[in-house]
Amino acid sequence: MKEITAIILMSISIIVPVLAQQSEQDNESVQPKVRFAPLHIYLDSGNKSLAAYQFELKAAAGQIKIVGVEGGQHAAFKEAPYYDPAALAKDHIIIAAFNTGSELPKGRTRIATIHLQIIGEAEPDYELKLTVAADADAKEIPAKISFEKGE
Amino acid sequence: MTNKNRHFDEDLDLKVSPKLSEDLNTLFKQQFSVPPEVDRAIIDKAHQHLIPKHWRHRIFHHISLWRVAAAAAVIIFAFSLNLTQEPGPRTSRTVLVKAQAVDIDENGRVDILDAFKLARHIESAESTKTKLSPVLSTGQALVKQGWDINGDGLVDRNDVDLVALSAVRLDKNKGVL
Repeated sequence: MKEITAIILMSISIIVPVLAQQSEQDNESVQPKVRFAPLHIYLDSGNKSLAAYQFELKAAAGQIKIVGVEGGQHAAFKEAPYYDPAALAKDHIIIAAFNTGSELPKGRTRIATIHLQIIGEAEPDYELKLTVAADADAKEIPAKISFEKGE
Repeated sequence: MTNKNRHFDEDLDLKVSPKLSEDLNTLFKQQFSVPPEVDRAIIDKAHQHLIPKHWRHRIFHHISLWRVAAAAAVIIFAFSLNLTQEPGPRTSRTVLVKAQAVDIDENGRVDILDAFKLARHIESAESTKTKLSPVLSTGQALVKQGWDINGDGLVDRNDVDLVALSAVRLDKNKGVL
């Protein structure tokens, strides 16, 4: 009798997690709509040369995952900027770059492109905050940061 | 009434005749008596033989149950671990860096300007190498200023990268790269 009880308990202990995992996988298979889109980040430094910048991006609404970061438009910021790899697959990132050269952009320029995975139907919204922008002498300069949603 | 029915007839006389009973008693009568000591010895022997087996069986049974329970626990534990989940991305740097060390401009904040300023110092030092020290190399001269972040004896682009990565870390409170 005890053996039968042990066998039944063992069977339950094996079958229940298996079924639970299967149902979890079934639930996962019914995934919401997923699409990928770039988010272009622009910085307007006016008539000052832009030599360094740092900004922070967070998802204010919707569900996103950061899947990649690309450099900017100008040659000075063409290379991929600094960011924490731990930010990938999250909805929050800090991005920064600098250039010690003399050929620097002025005015409004695209400084980076963030590639996003957008989950669900809701259109995401973003919170973008410029931490610092500096000129070639490493002096802070006023600048305006903005983003444009890409297709 | 058939023979078959008669066989199961309840009224059938099942009494045994006294003669037959006496004959049977004579035939199967105990020819000799077994002393009680022998009986006891046989019973003791049987106990010695059977009880250890019984206990062995019980111990084995218990061990089997424990094995089953342990196997079940291991299986449950294995299922509780989500082995399909990929580990999260990690930073490539494992060097411990104190927040104070990477605050190059000492303004109490670690940002990209610290890396930028360090990079400018390195470039500036390289361009004025001879002025810094005729003996020490550029990197070695900057080490003296405490900017050798990774502790490799040189202040170079690797240190700049460490400072920049500190600036963009999501969990800056940890102060660790």
